[in-house]
Amino acid sequence: MPKQVLSCTVNDEAAEVLVQPWDTLLDALRERMGLTGPKEGCGTGDCGACTIHFDGKPVASCLLLAMQARGHVVRTIEGLGKPGALHPVQEAFVKHGVPQCGFCIPGVVMAAAALLNENPHPTEEEIRYGIAGNLCRCTGYTKMLAAITEAAGAGAGRRS
Amino acid sequence: MSTVMKTTRDVKGIGLSIPRPDAPDKVTGQVQYVADLNPKGLLHAKLLRSPHAHAKIVRIDVSRARALPGVRAVLTAADIPQLKKKAPTRAHAVLAIDRVVFAGQPIAAVAADEVAIAEEALDLIDVQYEVLPVAADPLESMKPGAPPVAELGTEADTSEALAHGSVAGVTTEAKPAKAVNISQQARLQRGDVAKAFAESDVVIENTYRVPMVHQGYMEPHAVLAQWESSGNLTLWASTQGSFNTRSEVADVLELPENRIKVIPMECGGGFGGKIRALCEPITAVLARATNRPVRYVMTRREELEAGMPAPQVIIKMKTGVKRDGTLMALEAEAILESGAFSGAVLAVAGVFLASLYLWPNFDVKGFEVLTHKPSIAAYRAPVAPQTIFAIDSQMEQIARKLGVDSVEYRLRYLQREGDKMANNQPWLSNGGAEVLARLAEHPHWKKRAEWKASSPKGKLRGTGISLGGWLGGLQPTGATVRLNPDGSLQVLTGQVDIAGTNIALAQIAATAYGVDIDKVKITTGDTDVAPMTGLSAGSKTTYTVGVAVMQAAENARNQTLEIAAKELEASVHDLEIEDGKVVVRGVPDKGVTLASIGKKGNLYMSKVEPVLGTSHPAFSVQAPAFCAQLARIEVDPDTGEVTLHDFVVAQDVGKAINPLQIEGQMQGGAVQSLGMALTEALLYDDKAKLTNPSLLDYRKLTSADLPKIETIIVEKPAPHGPFGARGVGEPPIVPAPAAIANAIEDATGVRLTHLPLSPERIALAIAAKS
Amino acid sequence: MRRFELVLPESLDDCVKALARHGSEAKLLAGGTDLLPQMKNALLKPAVVIDLSGVSRLRAIESGNGQGLKVGAAVTARTLELDRSVRSRFLSLAESGALVGSVQVRNLATLGGNLCNAAPSADMAPPLLALDAEAVITGPKGERRVPIAAFFTGVRHTVLAPDEILVELAMPAPGAHSGGNYLRHTPRRELDIAVVGVASQLTLANGVCTKARIALAAVAPVPLRATAAEQALEGQAVTPERIARAADLAVEAARPISDQRGSADFRRHLVRVLTRRTLTTALARASAS
Repeated sequence: MPKQVLSCTVNDEAAEVLVQPWDTLLDALRERMGLTGPKEGCGTGDCGACTIHFDGKPVASCLLLAMQARGHVVRTIEGLGKPGALHPVQEAFVKHGVPQCGFCIPGVVMAAAALLNENPHPTEEEIRYGIAGNLCRCTGYTKMLAAITEAAGAGAGRRS
Repeated sequence: MSTVMKTTRDVKGIGLSIPRPDAPDKVTGQVQYVADLNPKGLLHAKLLRSPHAHAKIVRIDVSRARALPGVRAVLTAADIPQLKKKAPTRAHAVLAIDRVVFAGQPIAAVAADEVAIAEEALDLIDVQYEVLPVAADPLESMKPGAPPVAELGTEADTSEALAHGSVAGVTTEAKPAKAVNISQQARLQRGDVAKAFAESDVVIENTYRVPMVHQGYMEPHAVLAQWESSGNLTLWASTQGSFNTRSEVADVLELPENRIKVIPMECGGGFGGKIRALCEPITAVLARATNRPVRYVMTRREELEAGMPAPQVIIKMKTGVKRDGTLMALEAEAILESGAFSGAVLAVAGVFLASLYLWPNFDVKGFEVLTHKPSIAAYRAPVAPQTIFAIDSQMEQIARKLGVDSVEYRLRYLQREGDKMANNQPWLSNGGAEVLARLAEHPHWKKRAEWKASSPKGKLRGTGISLGGWLGGLQPTGATVRLNPDGSLQVLTGQVDIAGTNIALAQIAATAYGVDIDKVKITTGDTDVAPMTGLSAGSKTTYTVGVAVMQAAENARNQTLEIAAKELEASVHDLEIEDGKVVVRGVPDKGVTLASIGKKGNLYMSKVEPVLGTSHPAFSVQAPAFCAQLARIEVDPDTGEVTLHDFVVAQDVGKAINPLQIEGQMQGGAVQSLGMALTEALLYDDKAKLTNPSLLDYRKLTSADLPKIETIIVEKPAPHGPFGARGVGEPPIVPAPAAIANAIEDATGVRLTHLPLSPERIALAIAAKS
Repeated sequence: MRRFELVLPESLDDCVKALARHGSEAKLLAGGTDLLPQMKNALLKPAVVIDLSGVSRLRAIESGNGQGLKVGAAVTARTLELDRSVRSRFLSLAESGALVGSVQVRNLATLGGNLCNAAPSADMAPPLLALDAEAVITGPKGERRVPIAAFFTGVRHTVLAPDEILVELAMPAPGAHSGGNYLRHTPRRELDIAVVGVASQLTLANGVCTKARIALAAVAPVPLRATAAEQALEGQAVTPERIARAADLAVEAARPISDQRGSADFRRHLVRVLTRRTLTTALARASAS
């Protein structure tokens, strides 16, 4: 079976990449494009570690085939902020000492950034549900809630 | 280290809440885990795993798999001469020989160009099984005549107990005849139990059950193996202890240790599950067979079906007390289901059951029982949550029955320093009483009657409290501290940082040497370059490696001062390090910069020795650490749903080196404890097959299920800890099951003794009662 | 995942043709939230996967002037959760969409996928049963409509032939003074699967219930209506006593099994509790509308 050409927008740039039909979008990002920020924690949509923005919405990239991204707009954690120019959610995560092992963090940050885009001033309950699809085993989520609340206050939701 | 907060000039590092230096890389997805490595020529490994929990392998035919294009190697046990039939540990059972003893046990291994091809190759391997009777339930499995799990003559594995702080003084007993699946047995006795029960006024008897639970680290096991033509093996591993991984792989594959280099990658959580080798040996063998780099990443389903979970623990407990509360007798039988291989920390269970409260008479029996399930490993404070669930639930029930305040009752009989543990060792300095007393001052505890009375219509509110802890771990270790030519410090250990310990170690180095924290860089080296270092486990990293780093920094400081003393023509005793300079006390303008001392240690033709502080201590004194937890809950009696309104953690940390990281440990540990209390269980059918092999059905708590976790840090210095610090990792996972069970009884009047305290158990118990 | 051929049709016609060509060898891929996990776990190994994401017709929502609703099979759970027309008149369907998985999953999971996967616990089935929905199916022989009550034929089985595709769900507008609700029990608040789900829809006229619908999930091989419970309410004023009676009758309709998610006893217990609660909510909504 021949590889197929996936054309889409990844982190604001047009991408053309050869993928296998059975590659998930997560596989393609990680193995074919070197974007290893999104993690595979379960492969079945039950942990949120692979969360990316797909046309601006948070999705589990392990549940999409790569070719389903054709013509779509994809953003990974690599396209959100960089050390030195962090997204407010990332900034707040550092300040509040959120990351421990760090494996879930890219997914949580993407879920939180998507939440604030849709709802710039969420209640604590809305934040709780906004990241409820992201399992974290280290932090107990408490510092995440504080960090996201602070990022919302800093106007994170007004950024695209 | 871009984010540094300084407080005062006299505090260099200790006590500052500093984010981990790797935080910016973690929030941007730049940190590299094993699965992120993609070297040229990479092959992907997959394992064929047994669908049966117990079966004879009659025949394996891999010829069709080997013929599939893109497949580079297909191996069975016959291809690996080092494998032995009586595998003493799970790591040694690389691939099954003749017989499988749990569902999910690897039988064959494939390396292929792509994961999809490797998986297709698995489908092409023909295995003929003869299915054998299964020992699925530990209570059945410990009876004579149960289907045998281990090969006859396999030794019990107690290395896990050693890794987690040994417990001296527990008698090991010979096992009864024909009970082939009892792999370890221990007994602790004191006094005359029968007489004491006869003299007791209140006797309470219960059976507590805690199912197998998974550590639940978010990063599945992963390893990348590559051989050099010289015969050296490099393993990029997700491990809690690179030196332990090296030793185990060397042992299994019969290689000299210095032929193996383990590079510890960022570890995406371990919690005890990444101490022992699991998939490293087979990946190394595949890499050698193909002469290519081979990466193996376990799927989540494989993790749940064939990882190394915590044992199921069944505790039958009977207690007797006088009407005035006097403790009389405790009788307990603890059964630890260890799965297909031995390895449970049996002695720890016995000591916790009989030592936390001062029973004058006790008889505690412990059994490690094998079943046809995946073998177990440590899980954060191994067996402490399970045993504390039993003993604390029991104390609460006694207090209720006597009509006395349950905190005061616990405090009346709680161990204190110097009291005799069940193994006759003395209790060491600890803050058990302090954390419980401190939590009992919390308004949520003082106002528990008001909380109960405030229940809305159709809901029942309650409050529960519990106390638990950890004896503390020990392991020899080492560290070096170098002074760089620019006056900065370089700390090297082999310690894997999974809990934020590196920043704490850097803080220790800063304070001990006398520079600010932003002058310190700490590195976790691989096994070729780092000083031998122990596991990141058992709440002992800060406690032991902290001492090594402190001593190495002091050693470096002394060397620095000696060099400066010569230069300044002053006595070492009159010198101090201030603002990056060694100065003569009282003469601030007479000094020499650290940079100049560092520079001279690395200058062509220089006669000044480079500053290299070293320390490689061993330890003998543990530092027990305790944690009390309080839960305010609301129960929906019709559905059994529990809403956690508030959860408070009070913990003795000895000295808070970095309060921010410690809070994170307390909050994360508490939530793991709450998961064990409320939702988590590996569920097996009567054929010992897992029925919930996904994170949808293996329910770790989400942010929607939890309140913010409130933390109270208590500091009772550990006499031998660095700056008085104790370990902080294990204690917070211990108390929640009992705290929640106690809160449920407070709310509903129903006492539950089987975990998890699921809606089903709660609702049906309430329905049965009314 | 095992290797497969991937077909990327851009129209419903192309889908039907692809299905005709590959038949039972092929699997239709919509949101992927059920199919891909099954493929990754080697429970399904299709030779061909037909991706529906290029077929825009399947993502349409139409609320016509007759105020009925047509929802394309590839409309996501998240859209159902948020769509105004769905929320305004078909609230139980929106509520079921809001409960699926997590937001990352709801942005992918589709109505059609939830139904065609035909798990007994499918959250979107009970509201559709309570709303008298019809499945619109197309295939080489043209289009046919099947009442949703007849759509499920067993665990993971539906009336769909191997060459057929579910196009949309059509449901009439509930009349005036009608209210519905979907409730389920799960041990966790998010990221979970119904242990039991119950949907209801009550329509009132002059204080009397003119139409009652009660539908149950995860208590039988297929989602089903509790018709005896419905009849106990129709033609009557809906009182707490009659709601309790209907809840008892709903328990009798349930035929639950014990599995890792809950025992049969607990499921029966939950049917009673959730039926009572959902009818109480539906009654309040009907009275307020």
